[in-house]
Amino acid sequence: MTTVHVTGVLAALAILLAIGATLYWMLHPPTTSAERAARLTERDVAEMIGSVLVVFSQEIHSEHVMSLAARVARRERAQLLAAYVIEVPHTLPINAEMAAEHREALGVLQVAESIARANNVEINTEVVRARQVAAGVLELAKHAQVHLIVLGSYREGKYTGAPLGRAIEVIAAQANCDVLIGIQGTQGTLLTPPKRDAKAVAR
Amino acid sequence: MAASALGQRVVEEPSLRRSVTPWGSFAWGYSDVGADIFVGLGLVLGAAAGASNVAFLFAGIVYVCIGLAYTELAAAYPVAGGGQYFVFRGLGDIFGFIAGWAVLLDFTIDIVLFAWSCIDYLSKLIPVLSFVAHPWVHFCVVLTVIGGLAALNIIGVRESSAFNEIVSGLDVVSETSILFFGFLFAFDPELLVHTMQIAWPSTFGLMNGVSLAIISFVGLESISQAAQETQRPASVIPRSSIGLILTILIFALAYSNLALGMHPWHALPKDALGHTQPLWQYLGNQDNNGAAVAVLASYVPYFGTLAALYVPVLGAILLLISSNSGVFGSSRIAYAMSGAQLLPSLFQRVHPRFRTPAVSIAAFCGVGVVELVFASLPSLSPPVKLVYAHFFRGESGITFLGDLYAFGAAASYSFVFIALIALRLNDAQSPRKFKMPFNVPFTYRGNRVEFPLVAVLGFCGIASILAFTMITHAIGRIAGPTWIVCGIVGYMVYRRYKGLPVLRSQPHDWRKAQINILRAAGELELMDEYLTNVSRMDERAATVNAAAP
Repeated sequence: MTTVHVTGVLAALAILLAIGATLYWMLHPPTTSAERAARLTERDVAEMIGSVLVVFSQEIHSEHVMSLAARVARRERAQLLAAYVIEVPHTLPINAEMAAEHREALGVLQVAESIARANNVEINTEVVRARQVAAGVLELAKHAQVHLIVLGSYREGKYTGAPLGRAIEVIAAQANCDVLIGIQGTQGTLLTPPKRDAKAVAR
Repeated sequence: MAASALGQRVVEEPSLRRSVTPWGSFAWGYSDVGADIFVGLGLVLGAAAGASNVAFLFAGIVYVCIGLAYTELAAAYPVAGGGQYFVFRGLGDIFGFIAGWAVLLDFTIDIVLFAWSCIDYLSKLIPVLSFVAHPWVHFCVVLTVIGGLAALNIIGVRESSAFNEIVSGLDVVSETSILFFGFLFAFDPELLVHTMQIAWPSTFGLMNGVSLAIISFVGLESISQAAQETQRPASVIPRSSIGLILTILIFALAYSNLALGMHPWHALPKDALGHTQPLWQYLGNQDNNGAAVAVLASYVPYFGTLAALYVPVLGAILLLISSNSGVFGSSRIAYAMSGAQLLPSLFQRVHPRFRTPAVSIAAFCGVGVVELVFASLPSLSPPVKLVYAHFFRGESGITFLGDLYAFGAAASYSFVFIALIALRLNDAQSPRKFKMPFNVPFTYRGNRVEFPLVAVLGFCGIASILAFTMITHAIGRIAGPTWIVCGIVGYMVYRRYKGLPVLRSQPHDWRKAQINILRAAGELELMDEYLTNVSRMDERAATVNAAAP
């Protein structure tokens, strides 16, 4: 036997509403100043990272930071651009053929593309020719209106005593946007360039 | 937690990890309080009949006051210990002991009552477990459940927080659905008014009903117990406590009104004399009072078909969790009381292999077993039934346990209200992120304090419920005070043996304790506020002393 009475209907709806409202209110407690600060920072960073430029060159090895940048770009839905800068000596014209360097650039960018694909992020790649790496990066960043330049550095040979390298220092000093530099600590391993067995890679 | 200073590593004492979220905090309380309505509904319908909704309303108003008091205190002192700690801090050692001892009585009853009711709910699917038809089987199964819970807690196995959260979530959805469909398809306000008129109980019955209705609201302790593990306790606990208070209040009022004013979907079985019986009477009889929610749900139109299958199981799981919360709640309280030298250090003893307070668990589960024996005896042995009929008005079974539960709850809650007033006066400098409403500001010993009117209202309410319990329950009148008196005697012997003050309190550095509590809870802003308040108070005191001749 069923009895639908207007009071019953109103009571049923009131119960549903009251329980729903109570639980909603309960699950949204006021935030602390620390949480508010963290939320603001998150929002700022989310707004900041609209497009990310990851830089490679003969001296700048950014494979590992590229992986980190891809994860950030995926989370923030940012555009990702990977660029390899070929430094052309003043003794050569800017469009001179540098087959070995170009081949190297394509190989590195292919790795970058694979990393992006593995992280399910779309990526644009570009080979840039410049007289100086720093100038090339700065020009590209300005042209592409990037919000963040990401590059990696590691201690090896000539970097001893000057771990950042001149190009990185110039980029950091003159870039209009934010620059994220991965610097390897003395015991760090994350930024160490891959030393893989060529045969294993080929397999 | 570790801190580094001048290259040296300074390791601080370990603290509980703050992993309990707002929903987790709610679930902690809900798995305890939420189970109460499963037990309380049938008992109150049996006692207060047509005034069951009024009984729940009265107890509900008192419960709101209790809830607000616990919310304020748990947010101000986010430390594991709950009501016992608040009374200990506000009123001193001996009252802290009495409140803790009353809470311990409740926890031991909690173990038995919910294990009992859990089996009652399962008996709706497995009839051989019915207490009325097979008392020995019922007794043995409940005993096994208690033994099993004790063993699991000694070994160190507990249900996970995630399990608690899932069961609580399912139960909130389930109960809301039962009420929604019940009111939508079967509620008749004219039947409600008619039932209230023809089945209005005697004053004794109403007092009995009110004293039993309070057991539907026992268990707020659990949120306070988990305060030390809750994220941002000063912000989260007020919300989860008030959310819990409102949810339980809505359920209790809605269930009682629905039971009195609902047309059952199917015809109810006739009573022993062959008469047609109304739903509320059917739910409150001895066959069904232990599983009233499941029975009511099965008579809800349409939804009842599904509810009849799963509500007994869901209810049984929730009741089992609640029973388990009695096991670890009692051991936690005993451990804390032992640390404060209110109980012998025996209760702090940890099992060498399992690292659990095995002595506490075994001792209080043992008390639970004794209570189970007393509750079951009349049904197991006919001569004992006559004795109970003569001395205790025949109270036995789940009513016996309900009586004692109501006594323990009313006694401990009474102390909490007094402690809240004392702490408002003596510890005004502790920041309170939540305060009970309706306060009267005045100056006390040179400090600006606020007197809580709601606490006075709540105290009067719970004191009246305590009085109702003593008047209407023969068992509560005898066994409850006996438990308290035995505890006080034991406390006095222990304190004298240890050379500690018996009636006075030991010196406590509450300032240092409060700073440590707030720091451990991660409430750094409140800690800063507390330090500012304390230094202001000291400056004021110094100024007064300097001005004195």
